[in-house]
Amino acid sequence: MPAITPQTFKKRSFVYHKLSAKHYTEIAGAAVSIHSVVEPQATVSLCDLSNLPRTGFRGLKAAQHLLSVGLPIPAKPNQAEKSANGELVLRLSQKEFWILANTNCEQSGYSKIDNLLNTTVPKEQCFALYCQDSHAWLLLTGEYLGKIMAKLCGVDLSSEAFPLGSIAQTSAGRINIIVVHHHFNGQPCFSLLCDSAAAEYLWDSLCDAMQEFKGKERGLLALTNS
Amino acid sequence: MSRLNSPAGLLINRRRRISFCFEGKQFEGLAGDTLASALAANDQWLMSRSFKYHRPRGPLTMAGQDANTLVQLEGEPNVLADKIEIAKGLIATGQNCNGSLADDSDAFLGHFSRFMPVGFYYRSFYKMPFSKYKDSWKYWEPTIRRKAGLGELDLTFKPQYYDKEYLFYDVVVVGSGPAGLSAAITSAEAGARVLLVEEQPILGGSLTYHRFDQEGLVADVLRVRLLAEVAQNQRIKVFTKASCNGWFTDNYLPVIQGNRMFKVRAKECIVASGSFEQHVVFRNNDLPGIMMSSAAMRLMKHYAVKPGQSAVVLTGNDDGYFTALELDDQGTDVAAVIDMRENKDIHSNELKTILADRKIDLFTGHTVYEAMASKGNKKVIGVEVRAITGQGTVNNKGFKIACDLVCMSAGYMPVYQLLCQAGAQLSYDDVASEFSLNKLPAHLHIAGSVNATHALSAVLTDGKRAAIIALNNIGLALDQPVPNVECQRKVNFHWPIFSHPKGKDFVDFDEDLQAKDIVNATRLGYRDIQLVKRFSTVGMGPSQGRHSALPTARLVADSTDRNMTQTGVTTARPPFSPEKLAHLAGRIFTPYRRTTMHRRHLALGAKMMPAGNWQRPAFYGHEKDRDQCMHRESVQVRTKVGIIDVSTLGGIELRGPDSAEFMNRIFCYTFLKQPVGKTRYAVLTNEQGVVIDDGVSCRISDEHFYVTATTSGVDNVYRDMMRWNTQWRLDVDITNVTSAFSAVNLAGPDARKVLELLVKDTDLSPEAFPYLAYREGQVVDIPARFLRVGFVGELAYEIHVPSRYGEALWDVLLEAGRAFDIRPFGIETQRLLRLEKGHIIVSQDTDSMSHPAELSLDWAVNRKKPFFVGRRSIDILQAQPQTRKLVGFKLAKDFNIDDKPKEGHLVLADNHLTSKITGNITSCEFSPTLDMIIGLAFVGIHQCAVGNTVYIKVDSGALILADVVKLPFYDPDNLRQQI
Amino acid sequence: MKIINCPLNGPRNISEFVHGGEVREMPNPTTCTDKEWADYVFYSNNIAGIVTEWWLHAPSGYWFIAVRHTVSDEVIRTFDASELFNQRIDFYMLDSVEAPL
Repeated sequence: MPAITPQTFKKRSFVYHKLSAKHYTEIAGAAVSIHSVVEPQATVSLCDLSNLPRTGFRGLKAAQHLLSVGLPIPAKPNQAEKSANGELVLRLSQKEFWILANTNCEQSGYSKIDNLLNTTVPKEQCFALYCQDSHAWLLLTGEYLGKIMAKLCGVDLSSEAFPLGSIAQTSAGRINIIVVHHHFNGQPCFSLLCDSAAAEYLWDSLCDAMQEFKGKERGLLALTNS
Repeated sequence: MSRLNSPAGLLINRRRRISFCFEGKQFEGLAGDTLASALAANDQWLMSRSFKYHRPRGPLTMAGQDANTLVQLEGEPNVLADKIEIAKGLIATGQNCNGSLADDSDAFLGHFSRFMPVGFYYRSFYKMPFSKYKDSWKYWEPTIRRKAGLGELDLTFKPQYYDKEYLFYDVVVVGSGPAGLSAAITSAEAGARVLLVEEQPILGGSLTYHRFDQEGLVADVLRVRLLAEVAQNQRIKVFTKASCNGWFTDNYLPVIQGNRMFKVRAKECIVASGSFEQHVVFRNNDLPGIMMSSAAMRLMKHYAVKPGQSAVVLTGNDDGYFTALELDDQGTDVAAVIDMRENKDIHSNELKTILADRKIDLFTGHTVYEAMASKGNKKVIGVEVRAITGQGTVNNKGFKIACDLVCMSAGYMPVYQLLCQAGAQLSYDDVASEFSLNKLPAHLHIAGSVNATHALSAVLTDGKRAAIIALNNIGLALDQPVPNVECQRKVNFHWPIFSHPKGKDFVDFDEDLQAKDIVNATRLGYRDIQLVKRFSTVGMGPSQGRHSALPTARLVADSTDRNMTQTGVTTARPPFSPEKLAHLAGRIFTPYRRTTMHRRHLALGAKMMPAGNWQRPAFYGHEKDRDQCMHRESVQVRTKVGIIDVSTLGGIELRGPDSAEFMNRIFCYTFLKQPVGKTRYAVLTNEQGVVIDDGVSCRISDEHFYVTATTSGVDNVYRDMMRWNTQWRLDVDITNVTSAFSAVNLAGPDARKVLELLVKDTDLSPEAFPYLAYREGQVVDIPARFLRVGFVGELAYEIHVPSRYGEALWDVLLEAGRAFDIRPFGIETQRLLRLEKGHIIVSQDTDSMSHPAELSLDWAVNRKKPFFVGRRSIDILQAQPQTRKLVGFKLAKDFNIDDKPKEGHLVLADNHLTSKITGNITSCEFSPTLDMIIGLAFVGIHQCAVGNTVYIKVDSGALILADVVKLPFYDPDNLRQQI
Repeated sequence: MKIINCPLNGPRNISEFVHGGEVREMPNPTTCTDKEWADYVFYSNNIAGIVTEWWLHAPSGYWFIAVRHTVSDEVIRTFDASELFNQRIDFYMLDSVEAPL
């Protein structure tokens, strides 16, 4: 069986041309980098999760729809909450919710997102959003999260001002971005969601900002297993 | 190289010697030395030449606050020698000298100063009478610039890495003197997160160099105690060698340290920036060896450098006495203390007594009237002292004292720059002879000598006071009472200006301005201080009026019979201290957007061009082959099949029961009855009735529309839609899906054949999927939306797919199209193809006045429906006679392509070059298919009939003739797109 | 840089916002005079004092309303637009008493 490359599948990440990873695996019908050369002293890493499933709903009945499939509803806009299965529910306004797949689960776990889209969507007041395609998803992990973002973003994202479960819809490096503070493998991390067409720009900007902290690109499995 | 004994020399490390080179000569200094202190330790006092008269200059402040020590480093001009630390192998030279610093052959200019008043160069050389050069300034300017130049740029420099970072603090304290330290400690102890910003390498401000008591013990003891408290407090972050260069709204503070600019946001900001010691204006007050008292103190206490062998201290306050004591302690012979105050105004008898005890002569009510210099004005060798008889006047006779050091203490000027940027006002207190600051904005506070508080104990309390007020604002003050601060200590002498008939009594050292230059400016009618500045250039030099603002204000007030509060000082703008453009630029944030097919375009040799922040292929091939590439690509589309990436097209989804009603209100045409599965051209006007965007509306279901918008227009269209519906509250969900879809237009007679190879679930036959229909299906296994559109005038399918599939879509289409010789085409080619069809591009063929009728788009406007955004304005416009119209034109077959008119060229009413302008060219291109030059142009309403000749004025000034023709140019019956 | 308190996202740098002009009431486009319409479309009051304005928080696409003093540039209050616009607006033909559709 030939090795999986970023172009093996028709679904492709928005930043795969920037990745230096040599090895990929299939997740949800797309190639996800499994590891890159990781230097042991790397304290910060950046990982492309654009190919992991995610979706969103907006409308007066969006919250009801999420509840009906057993997802939690964060109490206020700009808060995130993990579901029992590890999906991350983002509340972006009173009536807009995004759901990001569990970054750390078995293959079968990813189908949950598809179920959300396919089965029980209410006929009115609940509109599926296009965040799988309109937005890229990058994951910043390790120390200095706030300090790295402080080189790009005018909102205080230090852990005191931006505690776990917070969301900031803001501007970083002069593009719009959604920053989510959550846990990955028990460690704090930021999920960054940006315009998919500007993903390569954000990737470059983050790599540049990470340099000072010896940040490196990593694959999803390398992160999961570290 | 001898140095004073410890504890003098706070900043130096005596064990590390460092050699460096200045003016081609080797010197040795100690680690921690600035270039200026190391040179002074080597008895090299001449460091630069002045701007205009090339006078020798030496250290004035020893704190980086003056231009007297500007030197040239290798690769970097205009470096302050009293700020830059020496490093091994540092090579510096003087700048602004002709020859060497010591032997500047332009120094003769000083003798001509009488003939070179303010504005001399410009007024004399700008239009020189009898000059054979018409524009004589152009001829003289380079020479004059050389004489009055600053350093030299290294044009081969390598860019360095500069960076920016945001910081967030509860309290930011600017300045770490006693007031700043006190404020920072008080704030941190109450629980605030504090940033303490200090320009110097160590904390302490005046505590590091000033002497506050006879024994000279208080400052050190206090500094050590306060610094220990700072060090122990985790909540205080300290930045040294950092400059807070501005104050912007809501305490947004740019702080520069090294190669990084920190953009600091403070909830509360306390400015304890201190004050600048002021000089005395007397003849030759600029000679090397004449410096601020504080500069001599800094030389001793910071660098253990003895500032001279024999000193005269010229003072107007008690601080000069302390300087005299320190000099005496450190082995400098103090020849005399000259106090400008009358004996009765000197309140400290103790100080007089202690001078007497040390056998230091004291002359009260006297001043230095003139300083004497060694040959070439290179060093002060003595002063002439005279009794003061009135404001700025002295006795006819005086006496001379030999010395090699003069220390001046005329008083202090608050470091008001940041505060005035914040809108604070300066008012002058005639009793204290001092400016004070008031009307500060909320959340900005001042403490210490910038707040006209000078006694040490009062300064400490003032820091605490400011901190408690700030803490109260953020709910951290813990019920501490706000202490009362009183300080009666007077530090400013009211008129330390002693004009000399022979001049050289400098007010502004940077710009070589003398007292009479300022007075003369007021006599020429420049009464306003801002005009005095612009005429005389006072305060425009690198030190930005730190020492010239106060004497200038005094001189202007006096000669215009106003008080100083009325005169004021010139506006202080950021930056506070010089900053590099690299600091402002930082890392470059120039966002770019790429479609998912970007790499494929590059691989095919596309010439990319920007479209907004997108990158798009203009055509495929080399830039120099533009016309051939476009020719080839356009013929390909007309005869076979081509493909263009249209992912940048805007996309907006409207869903919900009111989506059709919403479409109907936003766009001009009617959409309530648009059939499902059909597309419809949609024109968007603003409230003025001007066409601002267009696109294609697809009705996916009764309650679901997908509308395209132009690449550059979609963000505004989406915002407008959101705002309208915030007001209308229709039941519709609006989503900008521009980036969610990648799209191509597959166009040409063979387009269907290509698509048939890949699409199995949708009937592509013309009967099942006719022109202007909308379908959904799969390209292989990629979910897709298909739009049959006619923008380029051939059989064409726009294929929109979720962006994650964009690159794969391109790949499969090119692979399948290979059998039909498929070729990609770029947007330049697309523009040509649509021009052949007479289709407009909004914003290229329209302007900010174009209403639908002018564009012959009346058919796309429904004026029978109750409302759409531009409706009422269009009604009003249509009721008036139309003045112009967009028409198609062609040029004669044999017209030379290189001379074709350009966009923006004017259309005239008549065949005279002077006749009325009636319109302009909006598009013009050579069409290989039609073998002629065609275009679109606005023409006068009387010129618009088909067959008319219009006159176009081109770059060369010539008139060319064009014929108005019927649109479209190509395939007039629109048969090809409907195949 | 100025800070504006977005009702949805909290205090943010003004660079995250887009100014949308004053909140103005549209005259009835069917019944108003040409002059009234022209006043609405082309003329701004531009007063020195307190104005009510549209602002957009661009990263979240959220339009809200701010009350601002044009002299001091102080933003006195920001609030969700539903405070001012709380019911559906419809347009009718001059000769019609029924809603369209």
